[in-house]
Order: sequence, then structure tokens, then C-alpha cells
Amino acid sequence: MVGHWPHLRGRDTTARIMWSVAAALAPAAVFAGYVFGCRAYLHIGLAVATAVGAEAVITYLRFHRRSRDGVKATWWRRSGMTIGDGSAVVTGLLVAFCLPAQARWFVPVVAAGVAIAIAKQAFGGLGCNIWNPALVGRAFVHVSFPTDMNPAAYPVLTGHHFLGNVGTAVGGMAGGADAVTGASPMAMAKSIATQGYADVDVLKVLTEGHGRGLWDMFVGTVGGDLGETSALLLLVGAAYLIYKGWIRWQVPLAYLGTVAAGALLLPLYLAGGEGGAESAAWQPILLAMPDAALRFVLWHLLGGGLMLGALYMATDMVTSPLTNKGLWIFGAGCGVLTILFRLYSHAYPEGVCYSILLMNTAVPLIDRWTRPRIFGHKR
Amino acid sequence: MTRATFPGGVHPPETKWTAETDIRPLPLPPRLVVPMAQNLGAPAVPTVERGQAVARGEPIGKPDGFISAAVHAPSSGTVTGIERVIDAATGRTTAAVVIETDGKDRPHASLPQEPRPWQSLDGDAIRQAVADAGVVGMGGATFPTHVKLTPPKGKAIDTVLANGAECEPYLTCDYRVMLAEADKIVTGLRLCMRATGAARGIVGIEDNKPRAVEAMRRAVAGADDLDVRVFPTKYPQGAEKQLILACLGREVPTGGLPADAGVVVQNVQTACAIAEACVRGQPLIERVLTVSGDAARAPGNFRVRIGTPLAALLAEAQVQEGYEALILGGPMMGKAQFTADLAVTKGTSGLLVFRRAAVYEGGPCIRCGACVRHCPSWLNPSRLSILGESFLAGNLDAVDTAMEFGLMDCILCGACAYVCPSRRRMVHLIEMLRGERRKALERRRERERAQAAGIQREVEKVAD
Repeated sequence: MVGHWPHLRGRDTTARIMWSVAAALAPAAVFAGYVFGCRAYLHIGLAVATAVGAEAVITYLRFHRRSRDGVKATWWRRSGMTIGDGSAVVTGLLVAFCLPAQARWFVPVVAAGVAIAIAKQAFGGLGCNIWNPALVGRAFVHVSFPTDMNPAAYPVLTGHHFLGNVGTAVGGMAGGADAVTGASPMAMAKSIATQGYADVDVLKVLTEGHGRGLWDMFVGTVGGDLGETSALLLLVGAAYLIYKGWIRWQVPLAYLGTVAAGALLLPLYLAGGEGGAESAAWQPILLAMPDAALRFVLWHLLGGGLMLGALYMATDMVTSPLTNKGLWIFGAGCGVLTILFRLYSHAYPEGVCYSILLMNTAVPLIDRWTRPRIFGHKR
Repeated sequence: MTRATFPGGVHPPETKWTAETDIRPLPLPPRLVVPMAQNLGAPAVPTVERGQAVARGEPIGKPDGFISAAVHAPSSGTVTGIERVIDAATGRTTAAVVIETDGKDRPHASLPQEPRPWQSLDGDAIRQAVADAGVVGMGGATFPTHVKLTPPKGKAIDTVLANGAECEPYLTCDYRVMLAEADKIVTGLRLCMRATGAARGIVGIEDNKPRAVEAMRRAVAGADDLDVRVFPTKYPQGAEKQLILACLGREVPTGGLPADAGVVVQNVQTACAIAEACVRGQPLIERVLTVSGDAARAPGNFRVRIGTPLAALLAEAQVQEGYEALILGGPMMGKAQFTADLAVTKGTSGLLVFRRAAVYEGGPCIRCGACVRHCPSWLNPSRLSILGESFLAGNLDAVDTAMEFGLMDCILCGACAYVCPSRRRMVHLIEMLRGERRKALERRRERERAQAAGIQREVEKVAD
């Protein structure tokens, strides 16, 4: 047998990378059950099973060979199914991670099916998709079943009274899914941004925190979608992947950095929201109470799907740029869009999903801008 | 200690098992098969006939044009025929002079008996001696050395680099030569500087060979115009353009030669051959190579005559039967062979035998960007390979698009394929695109010729 050079190959393989990503997501998946109860496992199981099943069926139809073609190949190889590479499992996990626990059972099925069948395989399968499959799946169910997707569908707090229930939400969370009452941290952050900062109670949250608010958001004992709550576990998994070089640190750093800077500085210049929120109120907070401002920034960093999105969705190899410079631009672009969505969109408390999808669209353009100078060429 | 390097590159396991193995001369084989195509450019033309007696060092092939190199009888004996054999480097066939050796190893009468001082030679004399000795680049590229030592008009050479990087895994022959013949390498380097008018000579070595660094430092001690530079161990540190960048911070412009950056690069074994040719008048009839791989029970570094059948080497290294892969050169850029019925040539730096063949089934590109980060030519190999597949699927414009992406700037080092998690056949596809590019150029030239001829006919018709 004769192969083309090089006759040596590195150790990394697609399957190794994908299964490692799945393993990095596993702690957060296990923890989801602790926070949201067994329903979390039902959703994760349904999403992964649908993703793998859809991948198996479609790749079988696309690639299977009936005859042996004189090639010594096992039934498995001839079937052409590509579920062994682990990418479908990762997509299934990510789909489940951005669904809320109370969604009806078919929501993860539809989301994962759309992710694999439409967002991935219809574009040509692994490596050919333009948009992150999991996020397309989420966006699809988000517009199809909005009541299932809104964490605020739980006994919700409106207006300025939400603070009264923060304690319930935060304190009761560890007790399990039944105790989930109250808006997710993102909905609250949104209120802070849009309602202005004059509210004394809001200030109180910002300056003193509320109970173990930020700590809970870091550990993950808060409301939200299944896999997005625990920044800690997501960071641990991502640290391993970054160490192995399988996700590029440039993206989360640029993404989180831009969001932090935006949360800190944007309210100074742009008034947001209904009822004439006063940006003027932010300046004294920033100047007089830097730790309150810091809390607000941390709130944004730890809240919602940002950690999940920045560490696992925006870093998806297929749908992010090739060059390091491109990754910086991509991450920063995601950050700018996310913070704009979060602070200034009226209908939508969360911006991670659509920010990343929009930046995915820009990837070919970014790749074109950031083409490296070829050896021996002038710029 | 200079630690400069080039951006990009990979670090495969070094596996230099034979690093501490002394160079062993291989016993003279009973039969030598000396291919005429041992250099880049035109193959030599055989000048001997069947049945003719030849002596060691006697010319048996004369160069065919300027970019060509003479071939000499590696030992004394009788020419038993001129056969067509496979040229391992290109896969094409070439003429080969087959010599049955008589074991006496009688030197040819034209070989000088007394060494002459290298200082007595001027540039032209050096070039003549090198051309007469049939010296070619022994790192594997086999470019005729006398051509390299002829600086193009208007291009001043200020530096000669002796390339002792030996960045390919497994190979240790250059390392052993640096330990054993440091002074000869320095003489060769001096001769190159003299021939090209360069004021500076540098020996470049990777930092995994500290003893070679030490040996070369001792050999250049006291000389102001000579230097030894140490580079991080990284493939392809020994690639000409990457070595020049690491050493001097100069980029060879696209489509250019090292001479365009004012540099000539010679492999350390080539430097030895230059010294042999100029000082002792010895033609290039032997070289040191490494035999290694997991199928070789006694891997080692051997000094062999050109034309030695591979079978003799395999026997000497106790290669077990039933190996799957036989590679001439290193594991990164060496060519896999489908037969062991081949002979050692001037460019054979290694012979690797592996129990299991490394055949990989590639998948789709997952855009991880590893190839882009590791490419020593700063290309986008992912894009080039996708264009290659696109061409195979019928998109004939892919070649032109690939040209925009630097198709011709690729050095085919295989770093991209090494890091690719999808095991894509990058180099294969890029080579294929290059071949298509050459064909397209030929077709265009053909068309232009036909058009010109057509116009000529019309003109003649009108004139009639």
C-alpha cells in the first residue's frame, strides 16, 4: 500500500475533537439535572437522540454503498453514517443546553431535528454549514413555540416588583425545579437597563448584591436554559478544550471583553428602553459606586447564555473564521451585537443566539479581510 | 545563541533512533544500478557501452545541457547493460547503467593523487570542479550544484548557508556527517563563499543536535566570517526559504530563488561533496543515508555507493519481511515506493521501512484553521484543498482561483496534512492542482502557436 506524503500525521482527529467537546459539556449536562430536575435529562436525551438519529438517517441515505465495490469494508463503513465522529452528539447537547426545562417534550425534538437536517445536512454536512446548527435549531423553536421558550413563562414578576421575588428565585433554586419562580437573571438585567437606574431597589441589588446572587450565577443555581446557568462548569470544560487548542481562546476573550466593555460604557451614551430611561443615571453609579458597576458587568457576563455562547457556540470551528485575526473580529462582533440586543432590544432579553448567527453569516467576509500575507508576497 | 525561527511549522515526534549510531560503510554490492536521472533538470546521457570495463570515478554519463549533472562509476567493474529503471523520485522511467563490480574498487586514472589546497582555486575553477564531479543537492532536491554556485547576473550573493537542520524525523545522516566531517563541511562552505563571492558563511542547525552544534562551532572557531546558528526544532526548519528567513530575516520573493535574497543554501553533505570535488578531485559516488523505521531491526547510518540496490541496505539493516511501507527520504516529504527494486541515488537521504502503511482516509474540512496556523508559507491550505476537490468535481476554474490563493508558493512540506484532524490529503490535492496549472499553460501555449501559424498561413495566402 502506498500513500501520499506526509506519512506521519498528528494525533488530533475530528472524532477526538468532537468527543472531547461532548465530554467538556458533560459536567454542565449533569448539573442541569441537579438544578432543573429529571426533566433536564429528558430534554438532553431527546435532543441528543434526535440529532444522532437524524444524522444517521440522512448520512445513510447520502453515502451508503450497496455493494462492496471490491473494497474490504465493514457494514458500518459501507453505511456511510458519520455519527461516529461525535459532531451530532455535540449538536444535540448544545441544542438541549439552550432550551428551558419547562418546554414541552417535542421542543427539543424539533430543535435538534432542524439543527441536523436543515442547518447541517441540507448545507452539505459536517464542515459545510454556514450557521451553527444548534443555534439555528434554537432560533427555529424560539419563533415557533415562543411560550415554551420564554423562561418568563414561569410565575413572573413584572415592572419594578421583581426584586421581591429574587430571593425566592435565588434562595429556592437549589431545592430543585419545583422551586423555580422568578425571572432569569437576564430578564432582570434587562429591566435594570431599560427601566433606568433610579430605582432604589435596583441600586440595592447592584451595590449589595442580593443574597448570593452573583455567586449563584457563577455556580449555576439560578433560572435560565438547561445548560447555560453554570458559568463555572462551562469554564472548566472550556479550559480543557482551550488547553488542547480545540477551541480558540481569542473568541471567548474578544466576546466576553466586548460585552463587559459594552455593559460598562454603553449606558453612558445610549439611553435604552421604554419610559424614557435615563442614561444620566448611569454616570453617577459608575463614578460613585464602581463596585455596583462591576456587579452590573458581572451580571451580564454570567447571566443568560453568554458563557455557553462565547465558550461553545461562537467557538464552533466550522462557523468561525480561520485566522487568529479573524477570530478576534468575530468574537468582538458577537460581543457588540449581544450587548446591543441585551440593552436596547424591546422584545428580547437575550441576544447571544442571534448575535452569533449574524456573525456566522459574516464569516466568509471576515476570512476574506483577514487573508494572511503569503510568504514572499508584498501586502 | 540565536533562537530565531519562522512563523508556522509543526513538531512531529523526532524518533531519531539512529542519532548515536556511527556511520558504517556498506560492503561493496556485486551489482550497481546507476540511474542517469539523479538531478533536477535533464538526465545525463550514458557514455559507456555494454561490456565496457569501468574504473571507480570514471564518467559514465555526461550532462545534457547546463541544468544537468555528470554521473560517474561508483566502483570498478564491467558494464553489463543499460536498462530502463524507475526513477524513485518522479516515478518515471530512466536509463540506468548497470555495473557488475569486480571488488577491486580500482580508481580511474584521471583522479588526482595529491590533494590541492582549496585556497588556490578561483570561482570558475570551483564551478568546473563541482560540475566535473557531478555534485547535486544532497538534501533531496538534487539541484545541480554548479548551477547554484553560478550567481545570476545582477544578483549579489552575500551569504552562504550550510543546511544542517535535518528537520525530518528519523533521519540522522546529516547529523552524523556533521560530527564526523565538520572540517570538510567548513571547507565546502568556504569554497561556496569563494565561488559566489559571499562574505559570510553560516551553518544552521536545529537545537536537538547539541553535539553537532559543538562540533561545527569547534570547526569554525577563530573565523570571523563563519558562524553557527541554532534554531528551535521545528519542521520544516530545513526548507530553504524558511531557513533563510530564520537565519537572516529575509524573505525569498514569490517565484524567486534564494539568490534573490542574496543567499545560497547548501546541504552539509553537499558541502562535503564540494570539498571532495575541489580538494581531492573526487566525483560524487557515495553518500551517507539513514535506514530506519519500525521494520528495521538494525537501523543505522550507512555510507553507500550511488547505485547500491535497496535490497542490500534492507539486508544490512535486518529489515523483516512483510513490511507494508517503504519510503525514500524522510517521513514528512519522502516518497512511498511500491517496490524495493530501486537503487540509491545522490538525493536519497533516507530509507524508511514501516510494518504498517500510513494510509489515511480523509474527511471533510471542519475549518479548524490548524493548517492556516501551521503553514510555513502562510497559505490557506484548507482553501487550496477544497479547490482541489472542487476541480475534481468538474469546476475547471478552481485552478485559477487557487493561483490567487498562492498555489505556486506552497513548498509541499505537508505540515498542513500533518496537523489536519480530518486527515485530508492536502499535499496530494495541491500537487494535482499544480499539475493541472502546468497543463493549462501548455495548452495555452499550444493554442497561441496554432493561432500564430494560422495567421501566417493567411498572410501567405494573401501574398500569393
